[in-house]
Amino acid sequence: MRYLKTIVNILLFIIAKHSFAQISDFNHIDFKKADSIALSYNNEGLYNLPKLAYQLTCNLDTDAEKFRAIYFWVCHNISNNYSLYLRNKHQRHRFKNDSIKLKNWNKNFKKKLFKKLLKNNTTICTGYAYLVRELAKLANIECNIIQGYGRVSTTNIETLDLPNHSWNAVKLNKKWYLCDPTWASGIPNPKTNHFSFQYNDGFFLAEPKLFAVNHFPVEAKWSLLEDNAPTFNAFLAAPIIYGKAYESLDQHTLPKQMHQTIKRFEHVRFEYQLKKPIQPKDVVFKIDNGTSIENIIPMPISVLNSTLKIEHQFTKKGFYDVHLYLEEHLISTYTFKVED
Amino acid sequence: MKQHVTLPQKKHLTTFSFISLLILTLFVSHPTFSQTKNENNSKSITKERTIKGIVSDETDVLLGVNIVQEGTVNGTTTNEKGEFTFPKKLNVGDVLLFSYIGYETQKVEIKEDTSFITVKLTLDDVTMIGTLDTGKPYKSKRKD
Repeated sequence: MRYLKTIVNILLFIIAKHSFAQISDFNHIDFKKADSIALSYNNEGLYNLPKLAYQLTCNLDTDAEKFRAIYFWVCHNISNNYSLYLRNKHQRHRFKNDSIKLKNWNKNFKKKLFKKLLKNNTTICTGYAYLVRELAKLANIECNIIQGYGRVSTTNIETLDLPNHSWNAVKLNKKWYLCDPTWASGIPNPKTNHFSFQYNDGFFLAEPKLFAVNHFPVEAKWSLLEDNAPTFNAFLAAPIIYGKAYESLDQHTLPKQMHQTIKRFEHVRFEYQLKKPIQPKDVVFKIDNGTSIENIIPMPISVLNSTLKIEHQFTKKGFYDVHLYLEEHLISTYTFKVED
Repeated sequence: MKQHVTLPQKKHLTTFSFISLLILTLFVSHPTFSQTKNENNSKSITKERTIKGIVSDETDVLLGVNIVQEGTVNGTTTNEKGEFTFPKKLNVGDVLLFSYIGYETQKVEIKEDTSFITVKLTLDDVTMIGTLDTGKPYKSKRKD
């Protein structure tokens, strides 16, 4: 009887562990082989997708590894085109109230974009998601383009009225997972705006709850959170998280909102689930009051079982942008209006 | 054996007949299948042919369209006139996949009378959108 109970407990543990669709489901797989295969085909053109898909996947055994090789290749070989992005953004807003003009713009732009992708290996979000889906399809892996809203530090939420971002959902071992090849591939150089490849592994089979902080799918089911999916308003009100958050955090727990109004000396709580332990000295708030930026190591900090908890009090009234840095990487931003 | 099969043993006879018929059916049906298969093979061998064609979209011919025989690595691409000649002779029932970035992949099955294929690819029905993550820290707009 006792053995039976143990077996049931083990089974329950396995089921519970597998109910969260994220990369830890594949801890038993070493993706190094898939990554090195992908890197060995660097600079391969897109002129023969069936051949490329075959080359990337033929020596790999599992779908997870095959998909990894495809995703890794796309993230390392396709650049994000800043000027195409700006032009599309501008025109989509220009035609947002004219469905025929918007449709025509999309049709012509789509043709132009695919030509650019083929010739120059450069695109915008949907191009990344499209390429990942096509290569996965050729490797017999079910993969979808997810259209929705993406929120970054420069997004103006007042004008976020049309979907502006695309990413992928992939089915591995009968379970759906999320990834964002665009944001994983790199960022533009802040001075020149030229794209620079800077692979971020955090967007591969990302934790859906963290993903939902800055990704809102048009079709709700693609949040993979079922009844726990945030509303659109909750998504718009959420804090800003940056790419590095995906490498450092499993979850962003508190605060739930970007903008807060508090009283002086009120205790403000911050809470995060970390991917790996951290030293308290590596937790820094950069607090911008509009005229100067102060770096502080907040106290108290507690790091227990990968949960990072911080408390902070503002002693002076004012309006503050608060940026959280972990190990010198920008993780998240909040604003605080501190009143008497 | 024959002596046992007598008229009064009608029930046994019926069972025997049924089993015999069943065995006979197996023998008869087997050669029938083989026959069909042989016929198909001989047809395919005689009808093996070189396939040529042209690929375009709704406005123009397409250069560089991938044409692959399904389930194999045999393939070719279209030239600047959108034309192709498949490098391997094909049989009736073989399937060619036509794929090109941005367009929906099309399958064409080789039929008895196929020798020249005209394919019109259609653009994939997807809206192109994008948001760039610059990684720049957020900055509040403040009133001076």
